[in-house]
Formats: sequence, structure tokens, C-alpha cells
Amino acid sequence: MGNTPLATANRSLAWRLWHNHNLRFVLFGLVIATVPLWVSMGVFKTSWLGILGGTVIYAIAAQGMNLLLGYSGLISLGTAGFMGLGAYISAYVTGDMGLPWEVGIIAAVVICLILGLLVGLASLRIEGLYLGIVTLCVAEVLRKTFDEFTAITGGFSGKSANFPTLLGLFKLNQGQTFVLLVVVMVLIMMLTWNLVHGQLGRAFHAMRGSQVAAQAMGVSLMKYRLVSFALATAFAALAGALYAHFTRFVYPSTWALTLSLNILAMVIIGGPRSIYGMFWGALVVYAVPDLFLKQIPVIGDIGGLAYVFSGVLIILVVLFYPGGVVNIAQDVKKLLRKITGKGKKEVSGNG
Amino acid sequence: MSTFLQLLLKGLETGAIYALASLGIIIVYRTNFMINFAQGTMGMFGAYIVTVIFAKMNLPLVLCILLGIIAGILIGFVVDFVIIRRTKRVSGSGKEIITLGMMMIFLGIAPLIFGVEPMRLPKLIESGNVSILGASITLNGLFNIIFGLGVTVALFLILQKTKLGLAIRTTASSERTARLMGVPTKLVTLFAWALAMVLGTLAGVMVAPMTSVTTALMDTVQVSAFIACVLGGFQTFYGPVIGAYIIAILGNMLSYYWSDVWGQQILYIAIIIFIIFKPVGLVGKKTIKKV
Repeated sequence: MGNTPLATANRSLAWRLWHNHNLRFVLFGLVIATVPLWVSMGVFKTSWLGILGGTVIYAIAAQGMNLLLGYSGLISLGTAGFMGLGAYISAYVTGDMGLPWEVGIIAAVVICLILGLLVGLASLRIEGLYLGIVTLCVAEVLRKTFDEFTAITGGFSGKSANFPTLLGLFKLNQGQTFVLLVVVMVLIMMLTWNLVHGQLGRAFHAMRGSQVAAQAMGVSLMKYRLVSFALATAFAALAGALYAHFTRFVYPSTWALTLSLNILAMVIIGGPRSIYGMFWGALVVYAVPDLFLKQIPVIGDIGGLAYVFSGVLIILVVLFYPGGVVNIAQDVKKLLRKITGKGKKEVSGNG
Repeated sequence: MSTFLQLLLKGLETGAIYALASLGIIIVYRTNFMINFAQGTMGMFGAYIVTVIFAKMNLPLVLCILLGIIAGILIGFVVDFVIIRRTKRVSGSGKEIITLGMMMIFLGIAPLIFGVEPMRLPKLIESGNVSILGASITLNGLFNIIFGLGVTVALFLILQKTKLGLAIRTTASSERTARLMGVPTKLVTLFAWALAMVLGTLAGVMVAPMTSVTTALMDTVQVSAFIACVLGGFQTFYGPVIGAYIIAILGNMLSYYWSDVWGQQILYIAIIIFIIFKPVGLVGKKTIKKV
């Protein structure tokens, strides 16, 4: 930040490429996409692939929550419901109706988007935590429907789905599906970054700061609330649909309030209004307990430890590190500069 | 008619449970200005304590519940001392996230201490039925109804008639002014968290005999209590109680008369529509936003 367009234009090509955000997202994705390689080489355990895949999926849903909570200042506790709906729609469309994988994803996203628009309409009349609990209400209706509407959801015994077959030609295995997840996440990150750094983002910022002031400046609350709800539910539905095809099994009990709260926690821990933060948040909340705590001898076998770890971490981050874990690298750098006495150079902010 | 009365009585029993849980939420919300997502899990934890004392120490159940209440008060104090005191400067949704963290801690500690096996807690009054105008109800159910109403009434008497109640109401209307006027707001929040924990424990003990005691014991109660708070409105102490009874009774009636499978969903959708038309809840007051 702090670079005028002119200054940017004068820099070398390499510098410009290195500071191109879209390129950085791609690089970030490339690094994560190597995980199946490490697994096949035996560096990572096979179970890591599933866990990190889940992390990527939750990071996508959290990105939607980030738009809603971080940028627009609206709260939703319905993420889990929409994720579940997306998962079931995609599983039904590809499994029972025998349509291609792409159709399943699109159907899931479109149907949830329409529902999201409806919730957005409701949000025009409902404020703050009332809105949160109304969205919880929507999610509960959906969750109960998952239990009972056995013709489509399979009820308590769950619903199975397959790994995606791209364009009807390429049947993917777990590792390749993981790469697909990463590709989708990178696309979502790019989309979010470009959205929030344009007019939409400025409108969101204005809306979060003060709704009255935003309206006075000509920001249409109706339009932007609808947009942010639609995007958030679409991302959640996409994440849910990917979940169905990655884990290949969908149970109704997955989509409870706890999941919505976990996604909220990912946004807060990762750092609201940061694009990379969502992945780090998902990693801390979802993957770290599974990857590392279970390795600890004796106490690691007890299931509750992961919850305690996440819980304590959430409280600590909110109390003492409100910027989120995304800032750790920056702060460590700053600290190092201070120690080595090179504190003169201005530290550039990140996206 | 007797079926209707039967359903009403069952609804009142469930309503008593929801009312206690939603009172816990509202008392914390009004004094701390945060939604307590951990209300359900706190109740679960309290119910676990009672169950374990009952299973291990062979004491009469009433005594176990009393011990559970004492433990609940202590846990409430600890929560307030260790966590809530430090959240004064945390902004808006951050506070809610902290209660989410607490929820996870309770969820995690419970299996660590109490084990993962589901446990059973018997009813307070083991057997016996009464019949009222042709509708039959267990003695325990009747006791739950009366107990729930009793606790609610007692709480409102405390809120309206005692000095402590006055302090709570002052804090609820404006925390800063209350502090300026010499109200010990720290004591008020301490009391609020202990009370929330106790109310949760009582609700948990009432639910426990209907299912088995697991970490998921209070999930339904928790969600219903939140929705009751929204339905009744967060601005008053009595709104959520009314909301709780409405949700419980209507839920029972809809499940029986309309559809066993879809009753609950229909009720929730009706509540959403109601909130859209009356965004502040049944007895809520509209707060005027100042620019």
C-alpha cells in the first residue's frame, strides 16, 4: 500500500509481478496444491489429505462469512444450513438424477443464492443479533428438513456422493479432488479480493461504519445487503457441494449450530477483512487440533482436547490479538526489525 | 379436549425448561451486553456434575441438585473472573465469539472429566401420575411446570423488589451511568453469570431424564431458548419467558395436530415471518437510532 499508480508503473516487471495480488493468490494455491504430492511421497500421512481438504472447504465458506461479518458488518448463524443444503443438492443432482458434477455445483449455488437473497431481504428489517438468530432459525429449519426429508437426503443414515468427474471425462481421485478444491479456493480468493477492492468493497465499508451515513452518501442498503448475503450463501453452498464430493458422505448432524459458530471463529481468528486469513483461521480451528493434538501421547486420544484447544485459542485471540493470526508474520517481522535496529523502513500492509 | 389439555401440559413442561434457559441468556445479555452462546453447554456441564455426583456418591437426588447448584455458582464466578472481566474493551461480535470459545471449552472439558459414556439421571419424583380433567401427567412433569413457573416468578420478584434487582435493572439500562451512580456493576455481572449457570443447570436436570446425559444434552434447548429470546424481544426480562412458553406449547400442538415431521419447521418459519413484520419481538420496544 502507499504506492501511487505512477510509482508502480516505474517499477521493474519482476517487482510488479511479485506485487500482483492475483499472481500471489495463484502462488499461494500452488504451494497448498502440493499436499497430495507430499502424501504420495510419504512425508505427510494419508489422513492429512482429508483434513487439509476440509480446511480448504471451510476456508471457502469462511470467505463468504468474511464478506458478511468482516466487510459488511452483518452477522449470520446460518452458514451450516446453507452448506448442508448445497451438499445435499449436489449429491442428489449428481447421484439420483445422474447429471454431471458441474450441474450439481451450479444447482447447489443457484438454489442457495435465491434463499440467500430472501434472507437478505429479511435482513433489511431485522438488525444485529436478531438477524443472527433469525438466520439460525433458517438453518434449524433446513437441518430438521435434512433429518426428515428422507427421499432426497437419506435421513439419519446419510447420503453418499462420488468424487467429481470433470466435463464428463476426467474421473478424479482424492488427491486430484484436493487440487480442484484448492483451485476453487484460489478463484474465490481472487474474486473476493477484486470485489472488495472495488466499488462494492467501499460500499461495504461505508455500510459497516454507519448505515445512516452510508445511506446519506447514496449507498443503497438494500442492494448491498442483498449482494453480501447472496455472495455469502453462494460461497457456503459451493463449500457444501465440494464437501459432499470430497468426503463422499453427507450426514444431517454435520450441519448444526456448532459448524456455523466454528466458521465464525475461523473469520475472527484468521483476521476479519483479510483474504488469506480465512485459510489460516480454518487451519487453526479445524486442522491443528486434528493434525497435532491427536499426536500427543495419552491425552491426545481424548476427544475433548481439540475443543478445549480451539476454545482457549479463540478467547486468547479475541482478547489479545484482535487482528487475527494473519498478522503474525508481519508482527514477527516488525519485532525482528526492532531487535536488529532496522526499524526505519516503513512496513507495508497486506491485503 | 383431554388431548388438548394433555398437549398443553406437556407444552408447559417443555416451556418451563426453555424459559429457564432463555432467562439465563437474557440476564447475561442485559447485564453484559453479549449473547451467551455457551448457555446450553453451561447447562449441560451443570447437569453432568449433578449426574456424576448422583452416580458416584449415592446421595439423594435433591441433595445432588443442591450440590450441582453450588458448583454452578462457583463455575459462574470463575467464568466471570477469568474471562468476562477482561472483555470490557472487546467490540461487538468479539464478545459473542468469546462465549463461543467458552462453549468449546465446556464441550471439551466435559468428556475429559466425566468420560464419554452416556449417563442416566432419574426423575426427581420417580413415579406417579395425576389426572387433570381427563389429561394425565406424571407427578414429575407437574412438579417441573410448577417449579419452572416458581423460579420465574421468584426471579421477577428479585428483579422488581430487591436492591440487587434494582442494581441489575440499572445496569441493564445503562452500564456506564449505573457505575457512575455507584452501582457495583462488577458484582452485578458476577451474579448474572452465576445465575445463568444455575438456571442452565436446572434446565439441564429437567431435560436429562427425557434423554441420556451426553454433551449434546442441551442442543435443542439452546436453539429454542435463542429463538424464544428473539420472539419475545431482548429489551425486557419477561419477553423471552413468554416466547419460551409460546414456542414450547405451539411446537407441541403443531406436531400433534398438523404434522409430526414438519411441525417444528412450520413453527420456526412462522416465527421468522413474525419477526420480519415485528422486528423487535413480541414485547420489544423500538430503540431509536441516533446519528
